[in-house]
Amino acid sequence: MTNIVVLVKQVPDTYSERKLTETDHTLDRESADAVLDEINERAVEEALKIKEAGEGEVTVLCVGPDRATDAIRKALSMGADKAVHVSDEALHGSDLVATSRVIAAAIGKLDSVDLVIAGNEASDGRGGAVPAVVAELLGLPQLTHAHHLAVEGSTVKVDRETADEGITHLEANLPALVSVTEKINEPRYPSFKGIMAAKKKPVETYTVADLGIDAGEVGLTNAWSAVQSASPKPPRQAGERVEDDGEGGTKIAEYLVGQKLV
Amino acid sequence: MRFALSREQLDFSRSIGALLAEADTPGVIRAWGSGKHETGLALWQRLADLGVTALAVPERHGGLGADAVDLVVALDALGYHAVPGPVTESVATVPALLGECGEIDQAASWLPALASGASIATLAASPEAPYALDADIADIRLCVSEGVLYEFDRPSDAPLSSVDVSRRLFAVDSLQRDEVAAVMLAIHRTLPVATLATAAQLLGAGRRLLEESVDYAKQRFQYGKAIGQYQAIKHMLADIATQLELARPLLFGAAVAIDAASPHASRDVSAARVATADAAYQAARAALQVHGAIGYTAEHDIGLWLTRVRALTSAWGTQATHRSRVLGELASSAGRAS
Repeated sequence: MTNIVVLVKQVPDTYSERKLTETDHTLDRESADAVLDEINERAVEEALKIKEAGEGEVTVLCVGPDRATDAIRKALSMGADKAVHVSDEALHGSDLVATSRVIAAAIGKLDSVDLVIAGNEASDGRGGAVPAVVAELLGLPQLTHAHHLAVEGSTVKVDRETADEGITHLEANLPALVSVTEKINEPRYPSFKGIMAAKKKPVETYTVADLGIDAGEVGLTNAWSAVQSASPKPPRQAGERVEDDGEGGTKIAEYLVGQKLV
Repeated sequence: MRFALSREQLDFSRSIGALLAEADTPGVIRAWGSGKHETGLALWQRLADLGVTALAVPERHGGLGADAVDLVVALDALGYHAVPGPVTESVATVPALLGECGEIDQAASWLPALASGASIATLAASPEAPYALDADIADIRLCVSEGVLYEFDRPSDAPLSSVDVSRRLFAVDSLQRDEVAAVMLAIHRTLPVATLATAAQLLGAGRRLLEESVDYAKQRFQYGKAIGQYQAIKHMLADIATQLELARPLLFGAAVAIDAASPHASRDVSAARVATADAAYQAARAALQVHGAIGYTAEHDIGLWLTRVRALTSAWGTQATHRSRVLGELASSAGRAS
């Protein structure tokens, strides 16, 4: 019996325009379509595969505003068994350290967690540090950037892939925390049965006070970093146009050589 | 009473849409039309895994026992992506017919196989559906003639030609067949389901044609402006949007009438079929206008939807059939009232 917790986050759809609010420079969640982050779908898929291969229970854990229930429902309709939702106005604008402490405290509320699976980074913040910080706070071994994951008895084996270091093979005793990359699997689509079953699955909701955390330790005013100003990305410069008057091929070759591309 | 779709129905529609959006249906349709069924059959299995093929199958036969509204939600999504194959027959009509037949021996093996995606069914029933769609790949091949249900042999001839090349139709009269059961009443009750399934796919296809046309009108520039900025295009597309939007409540209303076993279900379904087919056909004509010459080419995907709409408009009854059914029922209820 493997008890797995999957960390999920609701993010603005990458296809919609993402921006910061003008008042406090936090993410403007209202102006964009909100979806379950794709990397989390893969994390849920990986947890479901482990569950289906043996025995286990998959709990999804989400920190986010009330509308994040949509992201939780998607994870439940894929096949997760239950959910924990930490929702509190006080969390607005929390940095990743505060967020990680809240996640760690929420995991602490669950009985005997064997494996925590997260995405390696969320598509909105892209800090990529939450999984490591959570592991540190919980005292769990951290196996990050996994593109392959296998649970064998009481150990977990991971192929870790990063651009800088290539592939390393990691192994740890359970309980452990794994963060996965987008190469790990292709997530399933929720079926009619799964969607209907999700209606009846339990979702436990906590505030920060329920987790024994003081509201004065989280939120925008207590964040270790602050956004002073933000401006939209400058429009892309127009490219160089080569008119083909018989010399087009040569000019392209010269350009590519100039850029050290050939 | 709440008329909007439930959260679960919207989620299901999104799930099917997400799967099909990544499935390269234009490639699948072209392969299917040329008799290469591998990618299409794989797609059918993936749809079965989502539960699409189990919707109309009763729970005691391994299905989901979903209602007609759920079925419309799914078939609208399949129409939007123009999924090839005997969708109307295998997903909706044959499960409904076998359900109406009461206990026939074959139902106990056919229905679970249809639900799981292990089998695909086709059905011909003159005069509404004189030919059997995809009888070469369907393993449950049925036809209804004079109120009797027959199982017929796999055809060995090439398919007849259809305006939609991906619709592979087969004549069944000359094929060897075995009687299954008398279905005089059952087929009468099943026709509205076939009609509803066709209407749902037409609405989906019409929505797709409109969306593609709107996108194209924003990209295509002529005389220094996007063509969508010209009123002739703008108004034409706005009219199509209105027509599709007005057909949608008729379609869902008809599904509700079927679920409620309303005495007007057959009339409501035929009225919805007339409205969705009109709207989809107008959408197809407008799409061809907006796309201009490129819309005529076989290489552009829009043609797959244009021909699909044309074919579905006369599948399981022509517009005239359904108009006369509406008229007939109105006339007879007026007769009863006076």
